[in-house]
Amino acid sequence: MNLSRGTISRLLQSGGPFLGLLLVCGLFALTEERSFIFTGGNFKNILVQTVIVAVGALGMTLIIVGGGIDLSVGSVVAFTGVLGARLLVAGWSPWSTTLVLVLVGGAIGLFNGAIIAGFRMMPFIVTLGMMGIVRGSAKWLGNNQTVNAPPDSPVSHLMARVNPTEFWPLPPGVWIALGLAVLMAILLRETVFGRHVFAIGANETAARYSGVRVGPVKAATYAISGLLIGFAGLLQMSRLTQGDPTVAVGLELDIIAAVVIGGASLSGGAGSVLGSLIGALIMALLRNGTNQLGWQTYSQEIIIGTVIVLAVGLDQWRQSRRRG
Amino acid sequence: MKSLLGAVLAAFLSIPALAADKNYTIAVIPKGTTHEFWKSIHAGAVKAEQELAAQGITVKLFWKGPLREDDRDQQIQVVENFTSRKVSGIVLAPLDSQALVAPVATAAQAGVPVVVIDSDLKSDKQLSFVATDNFKGGQMAGEFLAKALGGKGNVILLRYQVGSASTEAREEGFLDAIKKHPGLKLISSDQHAGATREVAYQASQNLLNRFGREVNGIFCPNETATIAMTKALRDIGRAGGQVKLVGFDSGSQSVLDLKNGDVQALVVQDPLKMGYLGVVTLVQALQGKKVEKRIDTGVSLVTKENMGQPDMAALLAPPIAKYLKE
Repeated sequence: MNLSRGTISRLLQSGGPFLGLLLVCGLFALTEERSFIFTGGNFKNILVQTVIVAVGALGMTLIIVGGGIDLSVGSVVAFTGVLGARLLVAGWSPWSTTLVLVLVGGAIGLFNGAIIAGFRMMPFIVTLGMMGIVRGSAKWLGNNQTVNAPPDSPVSHLMARVNPTEFWPLPPGVWIALGLAVLMAILLRETVFGRHVFAIGANETAARYSGVRVGPVKAATYAISGLLIGFAGLLQMSRLTQGDPTVAVGLELDIIAAVVIGGASLSGGAGSVLGSLIGALIMALLRNGTNQLGWQTYSQEIIIGTVIVLAVGLDQWRQSRRRG
Repeated sequence: MKSLLGAVLAAFLSIPALAADKNYTIAVIPKGTTHEFWKSIHAGAVKAEQELAAQGITVKLFWKGPLREDDRDQQIQVVENFTSRKVSGIVLAPLDSQALVAPVATAAQAGVPVVVIDSDLKSDKQLSFVATDNFKGGQMAGEFLAKALGGKGNVILLRYQVGSASTEAREEGFLDAIKKHPGLKLISSDQHAGATREVAYQASQNLLNRFGREVNGIFCPNETATIAMTKALRDIGRAGGQVKLVGFDSGSQSVLDLKNGDVQALVVQDPLKMGYLGVVTLVQALQGKKVEKRIDTGVSLVTKENMGQPDMAALLAPPIAKYLKE
């Protein structure tokens, strides 16, 4: 009973973003380029282009639901990418490289979370600082240069599109991202930890008085997100076949936008994994479609900016109606 | 939900793609769109479009840079999107010699041939590489600087950006020429200007703050770095020939600086020709003709003295307006 009610409210919550996705699809369906946009090959293309933002959005959803924010994720993607390339060049196996990147990402996240929870500092400020520290460290680690990974390493094939004109087979990166999304949805919805995160985001003081260990839970959200970002760094490196210390500048904003379009509230206590994934898809689809229509680059930026404001505005309007 | 998406998908999968002989759609993908250099490339591509149209070959051009300038991942996405769009071919100026290898291979595999312009790619999947001999351009800059300084003095190389093959070749060419003159001392060659005027200006200011009094000659390997360094030299009152500055590429600001005597020489490419030959080469290949693997588009050294000659004037101020309506 409880579960089915949860399922319904979840569907309602992700309904808005899903309608948005259908709307964007519908608009592109009206154009002459639909015969190119709506093909299996292109949908694979869009999925591959969404993966990095999507994996980042999984962790960011957790953080934002808990009332926090993490601005350092773009830098961490660059840092772990450079680290991964260097490890592969040094002869580390793909598995151990992956493990190290995930753990390093998690460690940076834990560090962020420990400072935020331990010293009760603003997440915005702490992670803004970390954004610079990690970006600088990435450039240092890469000796101010891009580090070319061995192109024939198995890691370099994570995002490769075999058979580019067909939908199948999807690259491993897409499947892994889907698997991680399911795990994150379960963590957020079906576990005590997840409920505590929602409680902290909705009302931190109330959560504290009802016995939730606010500090450790908060720190854990950043650490878990960090693990995912470490993996996103591996995916980014795989895509570029190199570790680039200047890559993913502004990625954190794309990720936050995806989460917010997906129905999360920046003041905490609301958000869903499915919504965030759809948010990420909407942005990738907009970019892909306007690309193929041959629209100017600036129009894409204007459109995506408008969509962010509209999505959040609509969501607030719906919620106020539901309450009133 | 999945099945709904599937239905939408299926509904449009059945519509056949438009294709006809002598009708080509070509995507031209620059590194960015704000530099004047890329506008000349664009003009050259449009010139090719117009000339081919006169021969009865219809070309539809897409001109599309990465969403964020100098973001490799964004440029990869543009290449992927046009591959999915099934354009007849792509003319690409790769932001990185390695990062764009895989997307170009994927495009070739999907039946979309790629001509690379401006910067080289570590791959053999491209039909042709149409570009300036950048190493030679760098050498010309080095030789000019050596002559202007009488063979001795302190020189600075302000590099552009890591991973950009074209500018790295210029930098190497410059260093190669400088090495032949034992009287020239290289006091800085490890600083990078970066992609935008603002960061290039900051890098120039910082460099001059350290070396401003001892430097005699400077080489900047691209347009933004040249403009930024000139401005920084003016700020400390050492412009106008006290420090000999050799730049690369011509924008309206650097041409003005050349006329004023703040810049002693500009090594200029022919971007209009590059955009033009990029498209023409691609169309030739699409028509089944054999094309050269490497096409040189030439490089010249322009000074205040020779900038009035008609051929130099056309290089300094390419007739962009003739082809681009803005």
